[in-house]
Amino acid sequence: MLTTSKFMLILLSIIIMVRCVRSMLREHYEPETWAYIRSGRETLPVYHWENIIGSARSADLVVDKPGVRRVHAVLTRSDAGQWRVFDVFGRGGVWVNSVKVGPKGEQIFSGDVINLVGNTVRFQDIPQEKRVKLEASRATAGKRFSPALTLLELTLFQLFLLLQHALFADEAHLPAIALGFLSLIMLQWSCYNAMRIMGRSGFEVETLAFYLTTLGMSVAATSTPDDMFKQILLTIAAVALFLLNGWWLRSLKRTAAMRFPIAAAALLLLAVNVVASDAVLGARNWLELGGFSFQPSELVKVAYVYVGASTLEKLFRRRNLFGFIAFSAICVVALALIGDFGTALVFFISFLVISYMRSGSIATVFLAVSGAGLAGFLAVSARPYIAQRFASWGHVWEDVYDAGYQQTRAMSAAAAGGLFGKGAGSGWLKDIFAANTDMVFAVICEELGLIIGLCAILAMLTLAFFAVRSARNGRSSYYAIAACSAMSMLLTQLALNVFGSMDILPFTGVTFPFVSRGGTSLLSCWMLMAFIKGADTRRDASFAVRPGERLFSVGEQPEKAKGGKGKA
Amino acid sequence: MKKITNRAVSVLLIAALVIVGVLAYVVRYVDEGEDWALYFSRLNTDATGQVVDRNGVVLAAFSPTENRFAEDRATRVANYHVTGDYWGRSGTGVLSAFWYNMRSFNHIYGTTRSSTGTLQLSIDARLNNAAYNNLIGQKGAILICNYKTGEMLCMVSAPSVDPADAETEPEDGAFINRGLSSTFVPGSIFKLIIAAAAIENIDGISHRTFYCEGVTDFAGVEVTCPFEHYSQTFEQALANSCNVAFSRMAVQMGQDTMVKYVRDFGFLDGHELNGIKTAAGSYPTEFVGDPELGWSGIGQSTDLICPFSMLRYVSAIANGGVLVEPTLLLNDPDVKSVRLMQASTAETLAQMMSFNVAYSYGGSESFPGLALCAKTGTAEIGDGTSHAWFTGFLNDEAHPYAFVFLVERGGGGLTVAGRIAYTVLHSAVRS
Repeated sequence: MLTTSKFMLILLSIIIMVRCVRSMLREHYEPETWAYIRSGRETLPVYHWENIIGSARSADLVVDKPGVRRVHAVLTRSDAGQWRVFDVFGRGGVWVNSVKVGPKGEQIFSGDVINLVGNTVRFQDIPQEKRVKLEASRATAGKRFSPALTLLELTLFQLFLLLQHALFADEAHLPAIALGFLSLIMLQWSCYNAMRIMGRSGFEVETLAFYLTTLGMSVAATSTPDDMFKQILLTIAAVALFLLNGWWLRSLKRTAAMRFPIAAAALLLLAVNVVASDAVLGARNWLELGGFSFQPSELVKVAYVYVGASTLEKLFRRRNLFGFIAFSAICVVALALIGDFGTALVFFISFLVISYMRSGSIATVFLAVSGAGLAGFLAVSARPYIAQRFASWGHVWEDVYDAGYQQTRAMSAAAAGGLFGKGAGSGWLKDIFAANTDMVFAVICEELGLIIGLCAILAMLTLAFFAVRSARNGRSSYYAIAACSAMSMLLTQLALNVFGSMDILPFTGVTFPFVSRGGTSLLSCWMLMAFIKGADTRRDASFAVRPGERLFSVGEQPEKAKGGKGKA
Repeated sequence: MKKITNRAVSVLLIAALVIVGVLAYVVRYVDEGEDWALYFSRLNTDATGQVVDRNGVVLAAFSPTENRFAEDRATRVANYHVTGDYWGRSGTGVLSAFWYNMRSFNHIYGTTRSSTGTLQLSIDARLNNAAYNNLIGQKGAILICNYKTGEMLCMVSAPSVDPADAETEPEDGAFINRGLSSTFVPGSIFKLIIAAAAIENIDGISHRTFYCEGVTDFAGVEVTCPFEHYSQTFEQALANSCNVAFSRMAVQMGQDTMVKYVRDFGFLDGHELNGIKTAAGSYPTEFVGDPELGWSGIGQSTDLICPFSMLRYVSAIANGGVLVEPTLLLNDPDVKSVRLMQASTAETLAQMMSFNVAYSYGGSESFPGLALCAKTGTAEIGDGTSHAWFTGFLNDEAHPYAFVFLVERGGGGLTVAGRIAYTVLHSAVRS
């Protein structure tokens, strides 16, 4: 029975991965078309809500005429369907219907003429009926790979996993463990049905997140079976927050407006944590609140993505970037003060990705890296226990009973699992300190085998590739940057966790997204998933994105009527 | 937008690094996974088991959470080089050597569970205790095996370690099994090797007489005896341990012949005792002149011998030239036999060793109750001290034991090693 369930787990894992990967990375991904720009005889479709008009090849609307700068103007659309043109750098040379446009922008209507230093282009909106037709021609997500079938396979996976736990777990713990897996199954099907009712068919991101959460549930069942109820409640809360965050992201306006309050809240949280932490050795990155302990830095991750992303027309403002750099610096320094260098590194890598996406400047990235290198050197010389971790890196087998204690045990247990694992709940590594957080990859490899361990990594990689793919068709650069920075955080965390415990990188003690035990971490991972959903603009795919055709019914006609003067 | 999203490749850069890391891990898993998995193998396999001696005395017992040794300290210390320990400090004990039988690993299934096992050794723990006590704090090694079955009865190396005592700092070299892992200047016991070569290479050797004036000369370099042996037969020359006679034999047979015999008898190679590697000895194999060759013939020069190799050699002599490879397991089904020398050579040597005891070592007066065939060695090591050797076998159907006794810097072969041998062999015969 054990052998059969082991093979089934692996078979189902591989099937789930193949289906999700093919669905997310191979399905057609036609862009949304929002309007047209007519330049001479050419008609350029407007694919995004934020577009650069310029002569550069990387411009969204290429107008390669004499006098047109590489990045000349920005054309944006609001949630409500209002279009504006901005002269982002305020250098002049942009007129709408002979009115000079400044950095604050001018509203434009269908038929209006945009004058770019003597070169005129005509802006043309799409009538509602044509809009509906255009949308109908786009491929719907989930057509080729039924999400329900994938979810059914995941359910089977969970049942086989539960069966293995039943073979090894204490009888006293078994009801709680069974309840854990069964409520997870109920939760994912409820989530799926909710999507169906909303008319959404893209469920791959959720499936992968549920797959990883299942592995996390297995780790909880093997390492802390007494806390199963807590794990169940946390998972439900995490999925609820995911839905809430996704719903919030549906409106670009209110999302962007939240940046300042969220930044302030994040700084406050970190400040409280710094004051409350009395770290002498190691990190003290949690707060006790009414019997529950939580890690503020995990919630700050979500805040960081909110604050770091930006809409295109604001992206070019200096003040905006400097504000973000200052915010990043405070976050990283605060985490260093708390002693949570692993998370500080996660923030820093994410900072590099965001700042590169925003500025495109490799020089900035280099500057940041060298600055951080210096700071890191100072930190290492100031705190000897960090230097000690670096010293044992690559030499853990030389000090099996002290400096290499955790890593050597993690490596041994992981290797002992082979490809198929020893069976869920049967391992010994779980009893080693921090096994279910910092060395969770090894716990998975020991109990479920290397193949499932690699599937967990593959799931995260797939999400990353998907985020990048979605970003290309995202409506706003806000969603694109948010999705990419969320994934850069999760990937960095994964790398530090897996390779740290396997002595390929220094052991920094961060969590494996979704899988490691830790309530706040689970909440933040699910909330970060909402950003991936926010960038997914496949037709009717994501609950975090308003359907394209419906967006036009919102005050489109009256505005068009109002804009009659543009016909001149 | 395109400008921004083109830069999303930076996320793919992180993804690429993750993939590189995963590949690095997989490569290391294939390469080193076995070492990793087996390092904490008892944890990984849930193995439980025990090691007992031939009489069922528990020498070691373990479970995933517990490491135990023999109850009393004396047994633990005397048998340490048999058991080794759970932490691989000695590396030559059965806990290290047989681990591989109790655990296994492959890259597909990882470590496989092994059932509870009891490993019964051929070692007699009480005999080991007696042997260790008889060394009375001197450094040395004692090896006794049954030359008919290959079973090791006694394997002791001093100084030793109490594996259950984590506090006391062990003596220098206490973790080394001198019987298996070290080599020593052989001195006169080496004459047993020359004798075998001479029997097979010098015509009519048994009818020849050897004249000793107390000194002989090779190209101006002298080899001396403690006193003149005058005229002596081949048999007497061995019993007298006559340096003059044996160095001349070595020179007469020449270096090539000498090297061939030393090699064929296995003194230049490391061997395996149930997978435990033993030390290789040395002998001048590169060309040397007659003086050096003469010295090498009496176990000096650069000659070095591992006690275990000597045990194999005397076992073969005792068993009519056929060596039954020693084993630590009781009723070991995998014991191998190999012919090391002609039966007639072995028989002649056996008679000569019996004659040694009668003629030079005091016969049954000194060794009452033992059908002893032996050779002593007092190997000068150049600093005024000597290793005391006593090696041979009992020509006794009921107690077919071959043995090597070595007391490091102990002094006279007969007076020091011989005395210990007498007591310990008596214990062996009694039990």
